[in-house]
Amino acid sequence: MSTPPPPSQPQDQPEVVNTQNADLGDGVNRCPRCGSTDIQLRASTGMLICLFCRHEWSEQQAEGQLFDDGNLTELRGTTIGSGAADIAADVNAVVTLKCQGCGAEVVVNTAAAMSSRCHWCRHVLTINNQIANGAVPDAVLPFALSHEEAVARITEFASKRKTFANRQFLKEFTPQNVVGVYMPYMIVDGNVSSDVYGHGEVETRRYTRGTDENRRTYYDADVYQLHRHVDFTVDDLTIESSAERAMMDTSVNTNNIINTILPFDTKNAVRWNANYLNGFSSEKRDQDVEQLQPALEHQLLSIARSQVAPSVSRYGRGVRWEAEKVDVHGTRWVSMYLPVWLYSYFQKEKNMVHYIAVNGRTGETMGSIPVAQGRLLAVSAAVGVVAEVLAIIILVVS
Amino acid sequence: MGIGAELLATGAPILAAGGSGDGSPAGILLAGPIAAIAVYGLLFRYYRNTDKSHSFETETRIQAAPITGGEQKVNEIRGTQQTQIQGNNVSNHRQRVQRAP
Ligand SMILES: [Zn+2]
Ligand SMILES: [Zn+2]
Repeated sequence: MSTPPPPSQPQDQPEVVNTQNADLGDGVNRCPRCGSTDIQLRASTGMLICLFCRHEWSEQQAEGQLFDDGNLTELRGTTIGSGAADIAADVNAVVTLKCQGCGAEVVVNTAAAMSSRCHWCRHVLTINNQIANGAVPDAVLPFALSHEEAVARITEFASKRKTFANRQFLKEFTPQNVVGVYMPYMIVDGNVSSDVYGHGEVETRRYTRGTDENRRTYYDADVYQLHRHVDFTVDDLTIESSAERAMMDTSVNTNNIINTILPFDTKNAVRWNANYLNGFSSEKRDQDVEQLQPALEHQLLSIARSQVAPSVSRYGRGVRWEAEKVDVHGTRWVSMYLPVWLYSYFQKEKNMVHYIAVNGRTGETMGSIPVAQGRLLAVSAAVGVVAEVLAIIILVVS
Repeated sequence: MGIGAELLATGAPILAAGGSGDGSPAGILLAGPIAAIAVYGLLFRYYRNTDKSHSFETETRIQAAPITGGEQKVNEIRGTQQTQIQGNNVSNHRQRVQRAP
């Protein structure tokens, strides 16, 4: 498209791009080769497989399909995929489909599942039309790591952390119970400018005064007022789009564990096909683009501060940034399901769920293992005593 | 076992730090409590990973134009004992400061 970008109007309505997979509808979606509806994701290949004839295929890559992939520096205004559109509060999550196999009515509760099997003719009916409850995203990144591989990673992670692990956790540890969950995210491209203001100090002289016991080091320094400006683009920034998952408070939950296994190879996401979810569970998005602006701005400001850091390296005594701003010229948003293998353990006495999470693409693993408080305290105290004894010996000898 | 080595590794520098505290003999007696707290913190984080999060600053595809800006000397400090600028946040990218207009 060679039309010049429209002027930036921060409060204007976002442009919505229809990302509905036009090849699929709600109801019976058949294997392209044999017509069976028993279709699943085969994690080892990342492809859909027909359980009847073993034919394997994949949906089109979403990258380059959903948006015109122009130069990000030309991005203006807000563009969102239709799967990232605002959630309507009154929409009914329960969808009734007419089975094309036998004509029976089949109910799918999209709050919990995106497919259902017809009780009469055994066809699998899937939800592929976008619904205004956030359950159908623009794109999905299929699992590429099998259940066995996830079990192996979790076992390895936990086996390195046995000595001080909570005894009940160890007793009940069953890595086979790991569950594949598609988690909801917004994938954001942005074109922004940022300014930061503050003070920096350069050491000019260092000297000592006093003798022996009262010897002290003193510093002279020049103080500078600083300003830095940076224009940058971000490609596929990944933001939690479930309010509960975005709440990362390590004193009450372990959601930071799931956050840590980011990033994903989001460029390999494919257009929506509910069959990718068969056999997996999923969590629904409950946040709209507008509600995620603060989270986006926090990440953009952090990136800006990280980008300007090398340019102030000559201020050896450090820099105190005092004010900052970000001007967002353009963003585009895609809602996406990302694959996470999740092992969870509920620690009753702390009323806390501990996760061990494995990135369903890269295998990156992170976890929270509940600790045996008593053991941990005992060993810390023992080391403290040893250190103290050594300290006393040094004191007495010197 | 990896943990034993880590315990030793933490204990030693703390002892050394306690000993070099400007030669004050009382300072070295803090070695015990400091070592205990350090070991507890280290092991706790190794198990619970409460300090971990996605490093989006470095793990995202970012294209930045050359940094611009300016600086102006505004003051000289003489004889401070502070080793760095007060409120140094040059590497704490996620600490939000006042929003500029
Ligand atoms: Zn087939
Ligand atoms: Zn039927």
